[in-house]
Amino acid sequence: MDSGEITASKAVGLHFLCVVGLAAGYGIARVGCDLSLVTDPARTLRLLLVVEGPVIIGIYGWVRRDRGHCSYWKAVSRGLLGLPIGALLNAFGAIVLGAPVGLKYWLSTIYWSSLMSLFTFVPAVCVFGTSRTDWQRILAYSKPKEGIDCVISLPAQGAVIGAWLGAWPMPLDWERPWQEWPICVTYGAIAGYSVGMFASAVFVQLLRRKVHVKDD
Amino acid sequence: MATAGGSKWSLIRPFLVILLIHSLAIYLFTRGFLLTRTELASYSHCSDLTHSPCSSISYSRRRSNSTPPPDESPDELHQDRRCWTKPAVDRLVIIVLDALRQSFLSALPRLLSSFHKQIGRPNSDFLICFRLFDFVAPSTFFKDKKPWMDKLRVLQKLAAAEGSSARIFKAIADPPTTSLQRLKGLTTGGLPTFIDVGNSFGAPAIVEDNLIHQLVRNGKRVLMMGDDTWLQLFPDHFNTSYPYPSFNVKDLDTVDNGVIEHLLPSLYKEDWDVLIAHFLGVDHAGHIFGVDSAQMIQKLEQYNSILEEVVNVLKSQSGAGGLHENTFLIVMGDHGQTTNGDHGGGTAEEVETSLFAMSLQSPPASVSSVLDSSFCHADLDGRKLCIGIFEQLDFAVTISALLGIPFPFGSIGRVDPEIYALSAHTWEGRGTGTNDCQPSSDLAAWKQNYANALCINSWQVKRYIDLYSATSVIGLPIEDLNHVSQLYSQAQTNWSDTVSSSYLPMGTPDRIQDSEESPFQQQIDAYSDFLESVAKLARSAWTEFDGPLMGVGLSCMIVSLAIHLLAIRRLNILCKPYQNALSILGNYFGLVSPLLLVAIRAASFLSNSYILAEGSVANFLLATTGIIRLHPSISEWKLPTDELFFLILSTIIRFGIEIGMSKESSASTFLFTFSKNIFRINERDSLWTVLTDIFPIILLVVLAIMFYKFISGICCWPHLRYILYFGTVSSYVLIALHWASESNLMPISMFVQYTGRNFAPRVVYAIGFGLLVLSVLSRFMDSSRVKPTARMTVLSLALVSSWSPTILILLGRQGPFAVLIFISGAWFILKSRREGCIESTSRDLGASVIDPMPVIQWSFLAVCLFFYTGHWCTFDGLRYGAAFVGFDHFNIMRQGLLLAIDTFGVSHILPILSIPFIITLQLQNSKDNVAEGNTFLYLAQVFLIYGLITATTTTLTIICVTIQRRHLMVWGLFAPKYVFDAIGLLVTDALIFMASLYYY
Repeated sequence: MDSGEITASKAVGLHFLCVVGLAAGYGIARVGCDLSLVTDPARTLRLLLVVEGPVIIGIYGWVRRDRGHCSYWKAVSRGLLGLPIGALLNAFGAIVLGAPVGLKYWLSTIYWSSLMSLFTFVPAVCVFGTSRTDWQRILAYSKPKEGIDCVISLPAQGAVIGAWLGAWPMPLDWERPWQEWPICVTYGAIAGYSVGMFASAVFVQLLRRKVHVKDD
Repeated sequence: MATAGGSKWSLIRPFLVILLIHSLAIYLFTRGFLLTRTELASYSHCSDLTHSPCSSISYSRRRSNSTPPPDESPDELHQDRRCWTKPAVDRLVIIVLDALRQSFLSALPRLLSSFHKQIGRPNSDFLICFRLFDFVAPSTFFKDKKPWMDKLRVLQKLAAAEGSSARIFKAIADPPTTSLQRLKGLTTGGLPTFIDVGNSFGAPAIVEDNLIHQLVRNGKRVLMMGDDTWLQLFPDHFNTSYPYPSFNVKDLDTVDNGVIEHLLPSLYKEDWDVLIAHFLGVDHAGHIFGVDSAQMIQKLEQYNSILEEVVNVLKSQSGAGGLHENTFLIVMGDHGQTTNGDHGGGTAEEVETSLFAMSLQSPPASVSSVLDSSFCHADLDGRKLCIGIFEQLDFAVTISALLGIPFPFGSIGRVDPEIYALSAHTWEGRGTGTNDCQPSSDLAAWKQNYANALCINSWQVKRYIDLYSATSVIGLPIEDLNHVSQLYSQAQTNWSDTVSSSYLPMGTPDRIQDSEESPFQQQIDAYSDFLESVAKLARSAWTEFDGPLMGVGLSCMIVSLAIHLLAIRRLNILCKPYQNALSILGNYFGLVSPLLLVAIRAASFLSNSYILAEGSVANFLLATTGIIRLHPSISEWKLPTDELFFLILSTIIRFGIEIGMSKESSASTFLFTFSKNIFRINERDSLWTVLTDIFPIILLVVLAIMFYKFISGICCWPHLRYILYFGTVSSYVLIALHWASESNLMPISMFVQYTGRNFAPRVVYAIGFGLLVLSVLSRFMDSSRVKPTARMTVLSLALVSSWSPTILILLGRQGPFAVLIFISGAWFILKSRREGCIESTSRDLGASVIDPMPVIQWSFLAVCLFFYTGHWCTFDGLRYGAAFVGFDHFNIMRQGLLLAIDTFGVSHILPILSIPFIITLQLQNSKDNVAEGNTFLYLAQVFLIYGLITATTTTLTIICVTIQRRHLMVWGLFAPKYVFDAIGLLVTDALIFMASLYYY
């Protein structure tokens, strides 16, 4: 437990909280502020960010590695620091892939990439800090040996692939408002993120079982 | 080496086989899909009529003799002031309302197809009254009347008035329904196809015989105002013209206001015989706002009031001796549009437009017996409004018959009886001097006149069909031709009988002539039969796809893909003895992800939106490959510098493509002056000018230094090295001189300017050609002591440096940057590849050479550069300006070659010729002699993979075109895309074949 290993129930609970955070953010936007992603993407994304950010940083800080050297607050501040760095990486990726640049979009891009950073970069930073071996393992993604690897990398990969796939309706001439950047990409990312979280919950269960069998 | 040499032909053969199969497939598919028509350069002349069996003058005098008159002296013809038919109209006003929509079809979609079959017979009593004629005709049959229907009320009123000489027609256009093709069709009386063989590119001027040409030749003064497309089609035909630019779709008013400014004053003038006014507002309003918009209604209301004024002016001057005593007014659309404002395809909404014809001199009351009254219904005010059906194919010949000028040579239309009847003068008896044969009744006289016009008409059409089938590239089916000839000879025998019988001195009783059974009526029917079957034949040849041929072509293409795969497999097996195992399957992700990307790109062609955004999609995929390539470095905890640079490069390409696409959206045939315009605008900003002038030259210097470095790396053949140095550097200096002479930056003497403008490019081409010959010759140099990789590097370097100056100068100022991007992109692809290779030296090299990822990146980079350099897959995406670098005069071969090099240079020629670098840079680092000996196997494999990528995308394009052949955008988007892809594929295949010959 001390090594940062995560139990299956903990993983499920963690993902559940993330989903609740997202749903709450979207619910507040829809009901509380009368915002939706289609009508006002920038402000909705900001609201999602404000609600989901503390949830993710808080939760993943809690499952941090090397607890001996790293306090909870250190993990949280790591996450906060990682947020803009991850946002920068995501924004770079998005622009390379063709996200529009311009005054009209830059706010949306900032919030979107921060949200993507929450999905991808921030959890890893919270949990691993700057531990090189952990990062290398996560990035190489040879085979997940520990539950925490799944919990971090599967939703992140899901979000990235989802966002990549979410771009496909953008060139179509359907002239729907949701085809604008970054609306469908956000939908794709959230969908991919959810699928990734589901997959990670399942995988953690399987891994636990395997470990149990081995132990026996 | 020995093995490679021995199997040389077995390595080259697959490329030849693939090239041949692709050519066959594309030839078959193109024959089935891209309807081609040969333009004949023959013209009709007044005197031609003497060769016809139906002279307009002779028979009345030579009543007992029905054989063609021997030779009528031209003077006599001139004295008679008639040419082919007797002029029935003195002046003609044609008002074209672009994209004037006629009908609204959603109510009766099923009847549509059967309606099209019946089009040939105007008097079929088909239930078309339910069809909604929304702009012009009343739409009372439908419950929900749209605000944009029935807007041209003034025309309705005129047509519905009792005993009027005005009539509304539903005009059926033939696809492709784009303005340029339609104007061409209207004036030549033919069916312009997607590719009219003989068309000179860049200048769309009509070279076929046409209405305007005949007008000018026969002394009619033509006044044109409005859409400048007319001036492109007829550059020097008009007496006076007031053209307005048509390319800015967002501009609803410039053209229209210009026309309005000139139209009404011109109506009071005497200095024209034919006035053409072309309004564009409705077309533009449709494109931008759609049909159901306030702007559209506003435009239509404006037209209504203008038309009202025009009609008032004409009427006020139509008294005896007035300016418009015998004027004919035609208001017409050139094609329809869908409710979204699109047009180009063959749906009913697009092909149905309307035509309003009015004669200022009323014909006799018996005109109603000629007019077809099957489609009559009550208009909004409860008056009976009849609507005729008119085919645009008939326009040219009908107008010619009314004005009495020779029918355009290639016209296959029929003189329309209803419009012909509207003019009062077609009711006059012939041969006023010889009263003995003049039929007393108006109707009989009209029928006689009309039969005579049809006789000439049929003779002219027959003449065209005969000449066409004798001379064209792709003729017409023989059995159909025989059938048509039979119909014609039947009708002609009848004619001889009719003429001889009706001019017996005693005359025939009038009632017989009036009845349906009159010989003239029979004659009219016989000729109409003939003309209809010709039109049907022409439509089947020029507007209908040949499904089976397309299917065979497509199957060939799919078979070729299988052969491609087999060839790659065979090479794999050939490689095997030298490698212990192919770990392709082990590297599953590495194989699947590139294939998936190619599949995505290929499948994206199924949607027109993705074809429009092809550049962005290719760039998206290129960036994705770049991001995927980040992974190996990152997982080894290294900073992926090369890959990051590659990503930055793809971002630069992306912005370049976006700028290109913004140009595309405002594209028109005017575009080739667009870049010049940019420079002209910026002349005010001196700093910017300096930058745009100097920057390319600086980049050119950078490029020259890079080439110098590369060439210095040549380890052998010093003399070749010096020649390459000299050739490259001197041509770069000349390119710089050429650009300097084009800019106004510094004062240059006229001589230098001329030299720079025309002389320098030609020298550059010559140097390029010389280097090319040299590199081909150097292939035969003794290479026994040189390692195959080194030899290949030298050869490909020689080839690339011989091509690059030509491509650079053709691309213009953007050239150096594009080539620089290509070189650095290729460098980063190879560099990251090489690093990956170094660490896997222990692993089998075979698998890593065959790794398709760099090849696919190479191919995507090539596609991106095509769009980056300002091309796109339509014909206005060709950079016509490039064809005239160094030349002022047009020569189809020379300029075509230059244009081809410009179009395919940076996207096909350079990438394919530099493919060997993928192999050599990698193998140079390996000390493995086995791999060295296998160089040619690897090269063949890379070529095969590259060819397979191109072939796959082209196959999907062909499938997509087959599926979408009835699509709205088929002529605007899919067909050009097909042409570009097909030519690109053949170029790729041919280049690969030549390169394989060259390198082995």
